[in-house]
Amino acid sequence: MRDVKAGSSEYITLVSNDGFEFKIQRSSACISGMIKRMLDPNGGFSESTTNVCKFSEINGIVLEKVCEYFYYNEKHKDSRDVPDMDFPPELCLELLMAADFLDT
Amino acid sequence: MNFIKRLLLDCNPSRNITSSYTNTQIDHVRTQRSQYAQIAEDYRRRRAADPGEGPSTAAAPTQDQDEALAAAAQAEEDEKKTKKRKRKEEDAIDEIKKAKKAKGGKAAEKKEKAIAKKKAKKTNPDLDDSDDEDYDIDYKKAKPAPGQFEHCESCNKRFTVTPYSKEGPDGGLVCTPCGKEMTKDLKKEQKALQPKAAAGKRRRKVESEKLDGVSTGGAKSLVQLCLQRVAQHHDDVEELGDLPPKLLERLSEIFSKKRVMKPKTLPLFLRPDLDSVVVHDAAYLEEEDYLQMFSVVPNMKKLVLSNTCQLKDKSMDYMLERCHELRHIALYAANLVSEEMWHRLFQEAGAKLEVIKLKWLDAAFEDEAVHDMVQCCPNLERLKLKLCRRIGQDSIDSIAELPALKHLTLHIGREVSNDALINLIEKRGSLLETLSLEKFLDADDAVVEAIHDNCNRLSKLRLSENDTITDAGFTALFTNWPNPPLTFADFNSTRDVDNNNPTGPEEAVGLASSGFAALMAHSGPSLKHLDIASCRFIELSAFCDVFNGAQSYPALEYINISFCNKVDTSVVAGIFKSCPKLKSLVAFGCFDVDNVVVPRSIALVGVPRAQDAIEQFGIGVDVDEAVGRMVEVGA
Repeated sequence: MRDVKAGSSEYITLVSNDGFEFKIQRSSACISGMIKRMLDPNGGFSESTTNVCKFSEINGIVLEKVCEYFYYNEKHKDSRDVPDMDFPPELCLELLMAADFLDT
Repeated sequence: MNFIKRLLLDCNPSRNITSSYTNTQIDHVRTQRSQYAQIAEDYRRRRAADPGEGPSTAAAPTQDQDEALAAAAQAEEDEKKTKKRKRKEEDAIDEIKKAKKAKGGKAAEKKEKAIAKKKAKKTNPDLDDSDDEDYDIDYKKAKPAPGQFEHCESCNKRFTVTPYSKEGPDGGLVCTPCGKEMTKDLKKEQKALQPKAAAGKRRRKVESEKLDGVSTGGAKSLVQLCLQRVAQHHDDVEELGDLPPKLLERLSEIFSKKRVMKPKTLPLFLRPDLDSVVVHDAAYLEEEDYLQMFSVVPNMKKLVLSNTCQLKDKSMDYMLERCHELRHIALYAANLVSEEMWHRLFQEAGAKLEVIKLKWLDAAFEDEAVHDMVQCCPNLERLKLKLCRRIGQDSIDSIAELPALKHLTLHIGREVSNDALINLIEKRGSLLETLSLEKFLDADDAVVEAIHDNCNRLSKLRLSENDTITDAGFTALFTNWPNPPLTFADFNSTRDVDNNNPTGPEEAVGLASSGFAALMAHSGPSLKHLDIASCRFIELSAFCDVFNGAQSYPALEYINISFCNKVDTSVVAGIFKSCPKLKSLVAFGCFDVDNVVVPRSIALVGVPRAQDAIEQFGIGVDVDEAVGRMVEVGA
């Protein structure tokens, strides 16, 4: 079931501060409140037209885990007894700060 | 000469006369031979097992048959005693090793094998793997039939083989006691491998997280996942970097909850640039930790320490010396602080204090301290005094004089007259935004009337655990009250408590139907938090009128209707429909509620068998669908 609104693409790009680009589905990315607001056409941000969000404080590895989290969240949205997502503990603190920044 | 050689000679004097021996004779000789062979083997094994002991047995081979047997028996007896002690020691060591193995796993096992090999090499220098490997042929002994003697594989004792003898790990047989132990070990292992407890534990975890408000189904938020991970690895965290203060507080909450807020992890939360120190469980912290706290964060404005059992005068003294910016102090269970120190605190730091919250003070803190506080803290806006055993009515009179008081919470154990309360409300009521009077059992309608007459800025009102105020009093409170709608209403446990009269008195006492209706009529539009637990005299009709689906309560997020046993499923359905922003519904003890289908973002706590419906309909249901299904099921 694709609902493609006129003028909005299904995939958007997230760019980390070290140049890595991640193309993910719009629906998953909007799990993050911040990204949702960035891409909102009524918000007036340039990201809503370019569909590219740049993050100058988040590096590639962390951003990759964030994208993984988006898909994990969407996949398990309606189930219970969800197993926790696995990620290396060394990444924990940076991921925490990124998660707080992205409001997710 | 060796008696076995002699025996063989006896049996075989010359090779060409074998035919002259009858079969029975040959059999007899054979059994004798085997018996002697057994005894010899016994002796040899024993010598191998205890190389250092039994000097008497060294003489055995040179003696006669009978003497040899006797000596062997005697030696066995002697060795038994020393052996028993040794065996007990060995058993103990084995148990410890087993336990360690269970924890250690493969790496430990490998280590053990290596050590065992080394030991074997040490005691027996002939055992050299490299040489023997080529010539090692596995000789397997034929299994002895039941009735015959065999040596136990694990303990080397001689025993009679039976049809029930168990097999040891290397293929040989083991004696009965060792066999029993082996089956016990096997059972233990099987239990450990079984995932039987997993299903039950998972359900418990899910429910526990629902109660904590962490998740209502679906995946947890990334922030929550990360916080849990950090708390899990708290031992390895060396510093928390630049976490924003809000996250730092949440992390400290989780640490406190998992009881890992210890002297080692405390420094993670202390940074010179912070202006608040919040430790919800300071039970493990000692004097040095408090001194460290005050020295690292001297500019703290907010200090929250719960369960601070070890906070003493010396630390308080240092705090007063270092921290001059304190505005907010919350100390729960600081029972080692002396009376004089409380006075000093108010006198020296009182001028800037805006928030004081003190709970669980049993040993010190008298009415005079409260008096001092009122005198020295003119800017005090928030005051919470709960469960401080030594204060009473005089404190209420003192508090009535606080000029800037906006938020007041009181839970006083001693007797307080209604006049004192009324006096307090009359003097301070007009400024009060929060009023919470818990467990004032004798407060009566006059107090409520005073609230009605004097308070017109309240947004949070709590009057709980009372059995004197009547329903009429509550109704009068909420009728024609100039106060704007409340956001927080808590009237839990306001009801008549009389075991001889379970249906309640004629004139309803506590919050009942008309009071409840009046409350919702007055505060419905902006009420966020509603707690009417144990108001069991509210009738079903009142609930249905209030939560009828048509009326909408746009801000309501938390409802607690525990132990209102008149509630049934239609009320719950109505609640789901009427409260679009509902996050949590607590309904313990509402036994008429069943077959509830819970919509997506709502946490329903306390209804038994609610899981069944979830299993039926899944968890991702919308409110309308859920209500529709419930009506179906009900009908």
